[in-house]
Amino acid sequence: MNLRLVVTVLAKELRETLRDRRTLFMMIVIPTLLYPGLMVVLEQLTLFGQRRLAQQPAAVAVRGADPALAAFLRRDTALRVLPPESASMAAVRRRHAEAAIVVGASAPETTVATAAIAGTDSVRVLYDPSYERSQRAHDVAAGALRAWNDSLLAQRLSARGLPPDFARPLAVADSSVATAQETGAYALGRFLPVLLILMTLLGAFYPAIDLAAGEKERGTLETLLTAPVPAGEIVAGKFAAVALIGMAAAAANLLSMLLTFQSGVFKFARAAHVQFTLPWSTALLVMVGLIPLAVLFSALFLGIAVRSQSFKEAQNALTPVQLASTLPILVTMLPGIEFNAALAAVPVVGIAMMFRELMGGSARLVPSLVAFGTTIVYAGLALHFAARAFGREDVLFGGGASTAPRGGWRERTAAWRAGPRRVPLPAEAFVFVAAIALLYFHAGTALQARFGERGLLYSEWGLLFVPAVALVLIGPFDARRTLALRRPSARGLAGALLVALGGIPLGWALGWAQVQALHLEMPKEMVGALQKLVTATDLPRFLWLLLLVAVTPAFCEEAVFRGVLFQSLAREQRMWRTVALTALVFGAFHLSGETAIRFLPTAWIGVLMGIVVWRTRSIFASMLMHFVNNGMAVVVVSLPALRRLALSDAGEPDWLLVAAAPLALAAGLWLLPRRTPLPDDVVPEPDSREAAEEAGRVEEAR
Amino acid sequence: MIEFDRLSKRYGDLLAVRELSLTVRGGEVYALLGANGAGKTTALRCLATLLRPTSGAARIAGFDAAREPLEVRRRLGFLAASMGLYQRLTARELLRYFARLNGMDDDAAAPRVEEMVEAFGLGEFADRLCGKLSTGQRQRVSIARAVVHDPPALVLDEPTLGLDVLSSESIFRFIADARGRGRAVIFSTHQMSEVELLADRVGIIAGGRLVAEGTADDIVARTGEHNLARAFLRIVREAA
Repeated sequence: MNLRLVVTVLAKELRETLRDRRTLFMMIVIPTLLYPGLMVVLEQLTLFGQRRLAQQPAAVAVRGADPALAAFLRRDTALRVLPPESASMAAVRRRHAEAAIVVGASAPETTVATAAIAGTDSVRVLYDPSYERSQRAHDVAAGALRAWNDSLLAQRLSARGLPPDFARPLAVADSSVATAQETGAYALGRFLPVLLILMTLLGAFYPAIDLAAGEKERGTLETLLTAPVPAGEIVAGKFAAVALIGMAAAAANLLSMLLTFQSGVFKFARAAHVQFTLPWSTALLVMVGLIPLAVLFSALFLGIAVRSQSFKEAQNALTPVQLASTLPILVTMLPGIEFNAALAAVPVVGIAMMFRELMGGSARLVPSLVAFGTTIVYAGLALHFAARAFGREDVLFGGGASTAPRGGWRERTAAWRAGPRRVPLPAEAFVFVAAIALLYFHAGTALQARFGERGLLYSEWGLLFVPAVALVLIGPFDARRTLALRRPSARGLAGALLVALGGIPLGWALGWAQVQALHLEMPKEMVGALQKLVTATDLPRFLWLLLLVAVTPAFCEEAVFRGVLFQSLAREQRMWRTVALTALVFGAFHLSGETAIRFLPTAWIGVLMGIVVWRTRSIFASMLMHFVNNGMAVVVVSLPALRRLALSDAGEPDWLLVAAAPLALAAGLWLLPRRTPLPDDVVPEPDSREAAEEAGRVEEAR
Repeated sequence: MIEFDRLSKRYGDLLAVRELSLTVRGGEVYALLGANGAGKTTALRCLATLLRPTSGAARIAGFDAAREPLEVRRRLGFLAASMGLYQRLTARELLRYFARLNGMDDDAAAPRVEEMVEAFGLGEFADRLCGKLSTGQRQRVSIARAVVHDPPALVLDEPTLGLDVLSSESIFRFIADARGRGRAVIFSTHQMSEVELLADRVGIIAGGRLVAEGTADDIVARTGEHNLARAFLRIVREAA
C-alpha cells in the first residue's frame, strides 16, 4: 500500500470535511456546547419546578380524623386541609384534591386511635402517581402522618412509664464506604459509555455518507477513480478520515462532559456527595478502546454508503444500521450484567462493557482483551466489506441500464409477471420471507393461542406453505426450479440422512456449549411446554406429534427456506453465500423473545440442509433431514430410555455420541453427489479479472 | 494511442456495447456520435478503467484498461459531463490534489499547478472554493484538472453538456490545442456542429455497435445527405 497516496486522500478528505458546517456542527457544537448546556438547563428547570411545588402547600382532603389529628394537620404549613367531602378516590382522580387522608377504612368514627387507647388505626393516603402534585402531596401527607404516629407513640410510652426508645430496639443508619469519586465513577460508567459510543456513531455518520454516496452523487468519484491510485488507497484514506472524525467527535464529547461535571455546576451531584471525575489514565485507555470501534463503525458505514447511489439513499440505508448498533449498548445500563469473555465478544457490547468497567475502575484483563481483539477482527471484516465495494462497477455506477417497468401498479404487476426469470431475484425472496415472517409472528401467534396444537398446524400450512406455492404459481417462476422439485438419487438421500444423523448430535453439543459459555438458562416454563409438546404417551399421540412437529415443518418451512429463498440466492452460483444467508434467516425465523439460544443450533442444521440441497438440487433431501431432525426430538423425549442414552437431564449431550457424529457427517458429505450444472443456470457477471479473461476467451472461441 | 479492440460490455440482459473496434492516433481528434443510451459513455468508461469490458479490450499506449488500469490512468486525462469538482476545495487545492494523486511530489506539483493556473486563466478565482465558481469557471478548472499530469490521451464525455457558447468555445480551443501538441483525443457528443468543427474522424454508434466511421465529409457523402445531422439520422434509423 502506498502510504503517501493514503495520506494525500486522508488530508484532502479532512480538509473538505472540516469545511462542512453540518459535520462540524455534529462534531463540535453538539458535544461541546449543546449537550452540557442542555443538561445544566434541565437541572435548573427541575430545581425551579421543585421549588415552585414546595412553595405551595399540598391540598389534602381529610376524612375520619379525630379533632387532635385534624388540628395537627391544620397546623402543618406544608398542608392545606380540604373538607371531608373531597376525601374520595373520585375527587382525587378529578384533581379536586391533590391527595386524601382517610382514617379508619370501614367505620372511621368508631375506630379512632388516641394516645390513651391502645390499638392501631388504618389510615389510607389516596393519591395519583401519574400526577406530580399528587405525588408530592402524598409525600407531605405521609410525612405528617409519620410525625403524628411518632407523637402518639411517645405519649403512650410515657403514659406507661416507658422510655421513648422502648419501641425502637434498632437504630439503623446507612454509611457508604465508597468515596464521592468512586460513586461518581460508578454513575459515569453507567451512562458515559453509551454516550461516547453514540457520539462516535454520530460523528462517523455524515462523513461516511458524504465521502462515499455524496461523492458519487456529485460525480467526483468517477474523476477520482481515473487517477492512477489503487482503490485500496482511496478506501484507506477515506476510511481513516471517517474514523478520525468519529473519534474526534467522541473525544470532544468526552472532554466536554468531564469538564462540565468536574466544574461542579451540578447541584444534585453536590447534594448527593457524588464527584464526577475520570482519571486521565482511564480517559486515555477509553480513547484507545475507541479506536477499533471507530474503525468498525467507519468501515461499516462507508461500505454501506458507497453501495448507495445518493446521499438520501445512504441516509435511509444507514439509519437502521445506526439504530441496530445503538440498541445493544443499552445492555451496559442494565443491572446484574457481568462482563465475561462471552459478552466481551459481542460486537459493540464488548467495548461498551469494557468502558463501563474501566470507568468504574475495575476492568478485568481477559474480557477486556477479548473485547478489544474481537472488535479489531470485526473492524477488519467491515473494512474488507467497504474495500470490496470500491472495486465493483455495479456498486459505483448502479446496475447499468434500468429495465424497471413504469406506470401504475397494474402495469407493474403485469410486467413483473411477464418477466423472463425462472427463479425469484434475491430481493424478491427477501421481501417475501420478511412478509411471511411478519404474518407468521402476528397471525401465527394468534392461531396458536386460539387453537393450540392445531393452530400450529394451520399456521405452518396456511402461512408458510400456501404463500410459498402461491408466489411460485402467481409469479413468473418455474415451480420445479424455485421449489427444487427434483427427485434425488438414492445416494443423495443416503448422504442427506447421514449428514442429518451426524449433524444432530453436533447441534445438541453446540446448544449445550452455548448455554455453558453464556451462562444461559432455558426458561423452565418454556422447557416444560416444549417437552409437553413433543412427549407422546400413546401411539395415536405419537403419530399426531410426528405430523405436527416433523412432517409439517419438513414441507412448509423447506418450501420457504430451501425452496424460494435458497433457490433465489443460488442464482448467482455462490455456494457458501447462499448456504450461510439461508441458514442465518432460517435461524432468525426460529427466534423469539425467550428462545435466543435456539438460533445457533437451528442455523447449524440450516447450514447442513443448505449444503445437501446445493449438492443434490433437491428439496426432498432437505425435507428428509428436517423430518429426521424434528422427529428425533419427539422420539428422544417420548422414550425416556432413549433420552437417557442421548442427553442428560440437564440437556448435556452424550459425548461419545458427539464424538462419533463427525464420522457420520463426513460419510454423508462424501456420499452426496456433485452439483450438476443445468443449462439455464444464470451465469454471474464477471467481477474479477480472471472471469473477464475467461469471458474474452469464450467470445474469441466463438 | 487509443484503441478499442472488439470491446463488448453487458449489463445483465442488456448488451450496451457490441464488438466496438476503433483507433485514435496521437494528434488526432475522434468524435463519438450517438443517441442517448447508444453506448458512448459505457465505451468511454471502459477506456477510462471505470468499467470492465465483458469481452475485448480498450487500450491506451498499448496498455490494457482492464489488466493494467494504473498504467492506463497515468496516460489518461478524463473529463466527465459532471465535471467532478470538489465543492469545498479551492481550484488551486484541487489541482494540487490531483497532481499529487498522479505521483508528483510537492516540489513538482507546485510549479505545475501554477503553470495550469496561468495556462487556463484561473488566476482570479484560483483561491475560491469550487462550489462558488460559475459554470464556465468550473469548466476551466475541470479541464486543468484533467491535464495536470500532461497525459498523452484525452477522453472527454460530452464535454460541452450544459455549457453556454462562451464556455463551449474554451473547450474547442482546448481540444484544438491538444491536437496541436500531438495528443490523442476522443470525445462523445450530440452536437453535430462541434463534430464538424473539431473532429478529424467521426464514429457513429447505435445500439452499442459502431455503424459508421470516417471523416464528417465522407459520412455525409456516403449517405447522399446534405449535412452531418441528416446523415446521422439516416444511419441511426437504418441501423435500428
